[in-house]
Amino acid sequence: MKRLRKGKKCFFVLLFLLLTAVLVNFVSDVLRPAQVTYGSTWSAFRAEPKDSLDVIYLGSSFAYCDINPSLVYDASGLTGYVMAGGEQPLSITYWYLKEIFRTQSPSAVVLEGTSLYFKRYQNYTQQNVSQMPFSANKLGAIFTAAEPELRTGLLFDLSLYHGRWQEVGRSDLKKAVIPIRKDHYKGYTPVEGVLEGVGQTPSEQGRVVSEEDYAASLEWLDKILDLCREHGAQPIVTFNPSYTRCTKEQYGRNAADILALDSGVLVYNWTDSFEEMGLIPTEHLYDGGHLNREGATVFSAWLGRFLTDEVGLVPRAQTAENAAAWEESAAWWREQNGN
Amino acid sequence: MTFLSLPFLCFFPVTALGYFLLPRKARNVWLLLASWFFYLCAKTVYLTLLLFVILTSYGAGIALGREKKRPVLVLCLLTDVVLLFLFKYVNFALSLAAGVLRGVGVSWNAPVLDIVLPVGISFYLFQAMGYVIDVWRGRTEAQRSFLLHALFLSFFPQVVSGPIGRAEELTPQFREPHPFNWDRFRQGLLRFLWGAFKKMVLADRLAVLVNTVFGAPESYGAVQVMGAAVAFSFQIYCDFSSYTDMALGVADSMGFTLRENFDTPYFSRSIAEFWRRWHMSLSTWFRDYLYIPLGGSRRGTARKYLNVLIVFALSGLWHGAAMTFVVWGVLNGLYQVAGAVTAPLRAGGYRLLRIREDGPFRHGVQVLITFLLTTVAWVFFKASSLSNAFDVLGGMFRGPLWVRLSMGLDRWELLAAAAGLLLLLVVDLLSCLHNLRKAYLKQPRLVRWCVLWALLLGCLIFGSYGAGYDAQAFMYGFSF
Repeated sequence: MKRLRKGKKCFFVLLFLLLTAVLVNFVSDVLRPAQVTYGSTWSAFRAEPKDSLDVIYLGSSFAYCDINPSLVYDASGLTGYVMAGGEQPLSITYWYLKEIFRTQSPSAVVLEGTSLYFKRYQNYTQQNVSQMPFSANKLGAIFTAAEPELRTGLLFDLSLYHGRWQEVGRSDLKKAVIPIRKDHYKGYTPVEGVLEGVGQTPSEQGRVVSEEDYAASLEWLDKILDLCREHGAQPIVTFNPSYTRCTKEQYGRNAADILALDSGVLVYNWTDSFEEMGLIPTEHLYDGGHLNREGATVFSAWLGRFLTDEVGLVPRAQTAENAAAWEESAAWWREQNGN
Repeated sequence: MTFLSLPFLCFFPVTALGYFLLPRKARNVWLLLASWFFYLCAKTVYLTLLLFVILTSYGAGIALGREKKRPVLVLCLLTDVVLLFLFKYVNFALSLAAGVLRGVGVSWNAPVLDIVLPVGISFYLFQAMGYVIDVWRGRTEAQRSFLLHALFLSFFPQVVSGPIGRAEELTPQFREPHPFNWDRFRQGLLRFLWGAFKKMVLADRLAVLVNTVFGAPESYGAVQVMGAAVAFSFQIYCDFSSYTDMALGVADSMGFTLRENFDTPYFSRSIAEFWRRWHMSLSTWFRDYLYIPLGGSRRGTARKYLNVLIVFALSGLWHGAAMTFVVWGVLNGLYQVAGAVTAPLRAGGYRLLRIREDGPFRHGVQVLITFLLTTVAWVFFKASSLSNAFDVLGGMFRGPLWVRLSMGLDRWELLAAAAGLLLLLVVDLLSCLHNLRKAYLKQPRLVRWCVLWALLLGCLIFGSYGAGYDAQAFMYGFSF
């Protein structure tokens, strides 16, 4: 009888702890701000059908502002998703890719290479890591790629976002109840217009990175390339069209260092390939480094054709439902762009 | 390591689990090691001083237990007082001396010595002094077990901020078996959570408003300055009583009973009653070891009033080495003296107005006046200097009533604070009528769980912690 009472007590203690954990997790989901643009769009990414993506685009804002996967699809039939983060160092990108490979098996991984010039910790670690779904990979990102002072907050992100209680609305509750929702952005973020004076003369002042940070980035890149090899994905490192460039020597060194890690990597420096792609710097650059919406439209179409014609990627078969969803996305963007 | 830190939330379960799982003989050793580890987390050098105080009071206790030699008592008390003076008051004394010298025309710049105040020194030194005096008086037996004596002074729930314990109450508890008690564990957890709620949701939220207004009282209207003073009254109550609740909750969950420190003090009808219900372990310490030895009320009315003033001036000084604290203490003493002197007059006035002694009106007026008087005194406690205190008090009576300037909290934050204070009022009112912790245990399971979830989520959602919040240290935590 006593044992039975003890067992009952233990059961209710465990039930209480379990319900408390569920409750706290739900509250965290409500209060965590939704991330639909500017990178780290994990919620929408998880809505993509398993093994349906041909290409994964990684990197920083140079990836999520320049590449519109729906328009890449429109030009080539290649499905893809931008899983980049603001100023995202390669350490976080590595954990992103590991997490991506849990549900997707892309034929190619396109990485925007400016990340090689980032410091160990940049400005958006909290946003980039906290949006990851809870997994061993998120823990990996927290303990190897996040600033030590952010780790507790990232482990228990209610401490980062609980101050949002004043602004919580119905959409936050909805987001917590139905967390996974597909969208037409596919990780892309359009930026509008051209900042004053942009596109006149390219700046080649170069980017500054310490040898220590550069070496650390190369180490993480090596791990990324290993992951690609392991999962049979073609790694491609690009430097997107830009008017704030590094010097030719810097790009030369980058290419040599990347190829030294893995000679099978395809490295493309497109920083001054505007004309070839049909881009007009004074019209298609938002600022010196990022393409605006019109620029991304031109570049994405060009990239789609390049990936199929030059790299030789072949779109995988999609279910009728998913193919229709991609067609719808492409049409939506065509409409948005007025085509 | 404070009660509201991640390390403590790891430390406590491990300590409690180890305590309940270990054989009885090893439990006190475990508890002492855990307590010293807890204290070590503040700063390594602090533990040396704590050990010194343990050793001296232990030795003095043994010596006084054998033979009541006054020099032993005096030497031990003197050592403790000198330690307290050196670590807490030497800079204050030097600045006072410089002031006095300046007054007589001698120019001397007092040096500011770089002395770090050991955590909890005011608490454990008072506890040690109380023990030695009790042995001298024969009120308690000299403790022969070094382990138990060390535990009495180091017990982690109370070593940093009290309550100031008595040997005859606490030490016997270390000899008892303390098997795991499910009801006490749950009561302790509830009390800890309630303390966390008061600290995180109320005290630290009110602190923003109070610091903003006290930082520039001349920029705000009279009503805002008054509001900030009232807010500080609630802030300090929530802050200090929250620490006590957490300390008592932690101890209770392990089967130990510590002294109560607060008994709904803002429901007091006089300042004397307020001090019987506020920081009770310190008030009774001063009563037993200072007021009564000074003669208490046994040597005539004038001497009694003088004793009250001495005790309150020293109590003020205990709270901090600054003139603001001394004034705060003396003011409380004066309130009591004035209260005693005018008592017949006030009673006559009430009789004349035909207001019943125990009627709700008189009761309410007395509670309100007591609260207002303590609020005025708290201004000195909070102010950074005497001139700042007078600026705040002056700001209550001059200038515009309201100035459109942020007080540090937006509308929603103020609403959260008001809702929390309303809950505090309800809980305090109910606690006067019922034993709330026992009543909690009698509730159906779902109700108990909902109470815990409400407190937990209240802390997690509305609490001041994490990014964007300036979580404050406990007021009585690291500067006493």
